[in-house]
Amino acid sequence: MIGPFVGVLFDGFAYGMLLFLLSVGLSVTLGMMNFINLAHCSFGMLGGYVTVTLMDHLGWPFLASLPVAFLAAAAVSILLERTLYRRLYRASELDQCLLTIGIVFMSVAAAAYVYGTVQQPLQLPDYLQGSVVIAGVNFALYRVFLVATALAITLVLVAALEWTRFGTRVRAAVDNQRMARGLGINVDRTFAITFALGGGLAGLGGALAIAIVGLDPGFAFAYLVYVLIVVSVGGLGSIRGSFAAAAVLGISDVAGKYYVPQLGAFLIYLVMVGLLMWRPSGLFGKR
Amino acid sequence: MAEPLLALRGVRAGYGDSVVLDGVSLEIPEHGSVAVLGRNGVGKTTLLLTIMGFTNVTRGTITWRGRDITRMPPHGRARLGLGWVAQEREVFASLTVDENLLAAATPGRWDLAAVRELFPRLAERRRHKGSELSGGEQQMLAIARALMTNPALLLLDEPLEGLAPIIVEELAEAIRRMMAKEGTAAVLVEQHAEIALSLTQEAIVIERGQVAHRGPSRALPQDLATLERLVGMRVSPWGNGTRDDGEG
Repeated sequence: MIGPFVGVLFDGFAYGMLLFLLSVGLSVTLGMMNFINLAHCSFGMLGGYVTVTLMDHLGWPFLASLPVAFLAAAAVSILLERTLYRRLYRASELDQCLLTIGIVFMSVAAAAYVYGTVQQPLQLPDYLQGSVVIAGVNFALYRVFLVATALAITLVLVAALEWTRFGTRVRAAVDNQRMARGLGINVDRTFAITFALGGGLAGLGGALAIAIVGLDPGFAFAYLVYVLIVVSVGGLGSIRGSFAAAAVLGISDVAGKYYVPQLGAFLIYLVMVGLLMWRPSGLFGKR
Repeated sequence: MAEPLLALRGVRAGYGDSVVLDGVSLEIPEHGSVAVLGRNGVGKTTLLLTIMGFTNVTRGTITWRGRDITRMPPHGRARLGLGWVAQEREVFASLTVDENLLAAATPGRWDLAAVRELFPRLAERRRHKGSELSGGEQQMLAIARALMTNPALLLLDEPLEGLAPIIVEELAEAIRRMMAKEGTAAVLVEQHAEIALSLTQEAIVIERGQVAHRGPSRALPQDLATLERLVGMRVSPWGNGTRDDGEG
């Protein structure tokens, strides 16, 4: 009885870590500039397709493709930020939504045009297949790898945000953008760098997601919902909040599908409603 | 004659389409200090926001040591040497005192040790979050944070507002030291007219978006009638004029 429970808990946590990688960048940039980037998961999808392309067509090993997925998504983030997004920083939320949802549609259509609408195959390397049994509980090796990667990235992110000058400036800009500008912090540039890092992490998340949830052109829309839930439940601009929210939502989603299949994918929304009624500005949110 | 540190010439400014200041001219020499007096809502805060670049300037020019900065973004002005202490203090609430100070620090005479000497309280509270400070401490932090950018000109927006008299004295003394000893120029918007005049060399009175009066700070208290008419309040030792918040 306890065995399956721990297993479900672990699978849920692994799924949560995936959501965390996909959403943390959006949380920080939304908190800083109030810029609503609905195309965040398109960056994630891009990372997924980069990994598939490198592995299938160029024969790259899986692990080597991950940094490229990060860099490609970060590069496209910079490109879009410099050419399109920056014009809309001070525009209305509706304008921002319209622009970025348009980018989502374009990314979905582009992915379908190039790769077709089928699920992309991914052959994981042997050392990430199979599972280990610890105390009678099965742990899939790939999920162990996923959790370890996400935890390492979380540590690096928190350390960078807490202990570097750049991190202090990011937090200052999230706290009070106007004051940060008035003190000489180039908020636009700080935002652009943060935006690229967040886009890159989404790309990495997209690449890591293939083996768990698959990859097709619907990815950019399907995960947008989850990412927005994580951001709103976690609280804007909070890495800790995103982490906690992603873990809670991942676990409740997987546990819901396992224990209450009648509710299925609906449980995650109940959890969201409950958490937001308890803390309307999110677990770690300030506003 | 040398270029003034900061000069506004015929500036019209406001928010969006609304005009708050119209035809404001003002010069501040190096190491100079100006008190900005006036009733509520005449545009005193808007004047500081305009100098910092947060308003919409539709006419006139702003120059810094002869260089036109009318269109320069706020962070660029801050880096040139403008130090802004906002009306609502606006400390970074989730940052510690030390992080508030270091977030925008630039190398110079003012460093952590120097501002802690000016405000010893900030050394005691260094690990506390901005949101955990008292009003007086937040004001000290706001001033110290601006000093950490090593400004040539401090813009102080009602730094003594809403503070206990004992803190007012302490802060006024710190501001006096900053200006007299360190030679930092300052624009001081203040409801405590008497203190503002005692701290500054020059005073201007703003009325209906324009500079209505200008003169040496020492001369103004003698002209009580003018002051009361222009500032719209009785000049008591602590300037307890009736006022309400929310000046634009």
